[in-house]
Amino acid sequence: MPKTVRLLVGTKKGLFQMQSDADRKKWTVLEGPYGAPAPIHHASYDPRDGSMYAAINSTWGGSRIEYSRDMGKTWTASKNPAFPAGSDRTFYQTWHIEPGHAKTPNVVWAGTEPAALWKSEDRGETWSLNTALDEQPSRAKWVPGFGGMGLHSIAIDAADPKFMQVGISVGGVYTSKDGGASWVQDNAQVGQPKAADAKDERPDVFGCIHKLLAHPRFPGVRFMRVHLEVYWRDPGETNWTYRTEGLPTHFGFAAAIHPKDPKTAWCIPLHDLKRTAVDPGIGVYKTTDRAATWIRNDAGLPKNAPLESLREGMDNDDFDEVGVYFGTANGDVYASRDEGKSWDRIAQYLPYVTSVHAATLA
Amino acid sequence: MRRGHVRVLLHGAWRAFAGGAKEVPLDAADLREALVALTVAHPSLAERLRDEHGKLRPHLALFVNEEDARLLGWEDAKLKDGDVVHVIPALSGG
Repeated sequence: MPKTVRLLVGTKKGLFQMQSDADRKKWTVLEGPYGAPAPIHHASYDPRDGSMYAAINSTWGGSRIEYSRDMGKTWTASKNPAFPAGSDRTFYQTWHIEPGHAKTPNVVWAGTEPAALWKSEDRGETWSLNTALDEQPSRAKWVPGFGGMGLHSIAIDAADPKFMQVGISVGGVYTSKDGGASWVQDNAQVGQPKAADAKDERPDVFGCIHKLLAHPRFPGVRFMRVHLEVYWRDPGETNWTYRTEGLPTHFGFAAAIHPKDPKTAWCIPLHDLKRTAVDPGIGVYKTTDRAATWIRNDAGLPKNAPLESLREGMDNDDFDEVGVYFGTANGDVYASRDEGKSWDRIAQYLPYVTSVHAATLA
Repeated sequence: MRRGHVRVLLHGAWRAFAGGAKEVPLDAADLREALVALTVAHPSLAERLRDEHGKLRPHLALFVNEEDARLLGWEDAKLKDGDVVHVIPALSGG
C-alpha cells in the first residue's frame, strides 16, 4: 500500500525533491537544489532497489550521470558514457535515464545527445554504448531537432524486457525484440495527415519523436507524441494509429500514461511555434478511450496562462486514484489527486522546470 | 626533464569534483604532467577535466601563478619549483 510520493523535480538550476504523504495535499521540499547551477535534464527513481538517477548536464566539468543509493541524500558520479576511440562524437549530455525491467534487476538505460542508447548492467555505475542501434545505416539520416539530436524515449514492454522501443529527435522510432541486440525502424503509421509537401510517402525516418511511453502493466500498449502528431498502439499492432480528436493542437511534449488502465493517458498541447499553451491557457487533456478522443481538464490551473511543460515535465504516481504531476517553464509544479480532473499548484518560484518524476513509496 | 615541485589549487566546482580538496602538491615539468598527476591524486577529476577522447573540457580556466595558461602554451606551459597552478571554473555565458 503506497504511503508517500516523492517528486524528483529537475530544473535548469539543480534537482529538487518534494514529498507528500498519501493524501498528497501538503508537500514539503526535502532536498535541493542539488547540482545547481547545472541543469537537470531528467531524474528518475528505480522502484526495484530504491536508487535514484540524475542527468546533470553541467557546463563545468562536462555532463554526467549521478546515482544515489540513499534516497537522494548523497550522490555519486557514474563513469561517463563514452563514445569509442576514433568516433567523431563526444558525449554531450543525457536526456533520459530509464530503470530497466523488473526481470533485469541491475540494468538501467540512458539516452543521450548525440543520440545514442547506453546500457548499464551495474545499476548505473558504468555505461556501454548500444552498438546495434549505433550501427544502423539509417543513423546517417538523423538530424537535430530544435533542442538538439538526442535519444530521449526508452519504452520497455511490461511483460518482456527484450521488447523495447526508443524514440529519437529527429530519428524516429526503433524497435528491438532481443533486448537491444538488433533494431528495426518502426515508423509505419495509419491515419496520419500527409506531409506538408503532400508527397505520397513519408520518409522512413519520420517526424521528430517528442515522447514515447510504454504502458507499465499492459504489454504492447504504447502512447507516442510526434512533432505535430499523436499516436496510440495496442497490443499486437505494428502501426502507429493517429489519434488527436479533441486536442487543440497536436504539438507538445509532456505526456503520461495511466499505470493501471490501458486506455487512459494525459498530455499537454502547446502552440507549435510559440511552444506555450494556446488559448484558453494551460490545460491537461485526458483520454479514456485509447486516444480516440481527448477532454480538456483545467480546474485549478491558472486561467489564460500560456505556460509550457517540457518533454520530461509530466509523470504520475501509482496510487489507486492516480496522481498526475507536471512542471512548467516558469517554475511551477501542479498536482492532481483525482486522475487529472482538478489541479493544485504545489510549488512555485522554482527555476525553469525541466523534468518531473513521481516515485511512489511504500 | 626536471620536474618542479608545484601546488595545484582547486577553485569552485573543481574543488567539489575533488571531494573538497583545496590544494594538491605534486611534481610536474609542465601543465600537462600536472593535470595527469592531479587525476592520479584525485581520480574523480579525470572525466571532469577531459572528455572521452582526451580533450580538455571547455569552461576550464588554468592559470600558472598569475598568468593565463593559454598565453604560456596551454598544456605545454612549463612549471618550476614554487609555481602555483590554479584550476578555475571559467566564467562564461550569461
